[in-house]
Amino acid sequence: MKQVRADEQSVVFQLSSSERDALIQILQTYPAMPAGPYGGSKERNNPQAAEYQRLLDEALAEKRAAHKRHLDAWLAAPDRFHKTKAGCRLTLERADSEWLLQVLNDIRVGHWLELGSPEVGELKPARLAEKAITTWLAMEMSGFFQMSILEAFDC
Amino acid sequence: MANVAEPLVLPDLEKETRTKDELEPGYLVVCWNDPVNLMQYVTHVFQKVFGWNRQKAEHHMMQVHEQGKSVLTRESLEKAEFYVHQLQKYTLHATMERDA
Repeated sequence: MKQVRADEQSVVFQLSSSERDALIQILQTYPAMPAGPYGGSKERNNPQAAEYQRLLDEALAEKRAAHKRHLDAWLAAPDRFHKTKAGCRLTLERADSEWLLQVLNDIRVGHWLELGSPEVGELKPARLAEKAITTWLAMEMSGFFQMSILEAFDC
Repeated sequence: MANVAEPLVLPDLEKETRTKDELEPGYLVVCWNDPVNLMQYVTHVFQKVFGWNRQKAEHHMMQVHEQGKSVLTRESLEKAEFYVHQLQKYTLHATMERDA
């Protein structure tokens, strides 16, 4: 995924066919996070904090549902991935970069949790079961796409 | 038209549900370290949520990375709740604590 050009409003990326397929496949796993917030409150025994956290959980669930609808529409847009000789081109509007970063991070953290929240470097892909390799790849690839977007917009 | 004084009827005002204590900036917004969130992403989120410049955002990101957590701001209950919600929307591990 390489940046071809950028202006105030958007960035154009060149993707190989396999990168496009990987991006679509990864985005289709959204939402990957379990219900509720990541980490949770430190004050679960405090009724007021617990009530606040419950409301927060609801708000996060609504946000994820809205992101999912937006994502489905975004992926279904005609010519989203414009075919070229070398693969395809993706035009990403600056306005779309923010929710897409949130979506990709949900996927990254969600798959990391699914792997058992390992420490960096602890994971040895060669020792993972087939299902876990898919999960690990989704985690790594979502990070790759996140970095490409962050660097392109110099966020 | 007769100029007769009539009793003034005030609309029902919603009772203030927040106590004075909750309106004072006695709540800390804390971000915790994890091995999964990318450093550049965390910096970006701090810039977006708090409107900080990159230098300040990177300073707090490094605190999270090296010290395990960073106190990002001290606010009223309502504002602290808002910031925690924003950070959790970005899938950062953020919590709110009463300042001792």
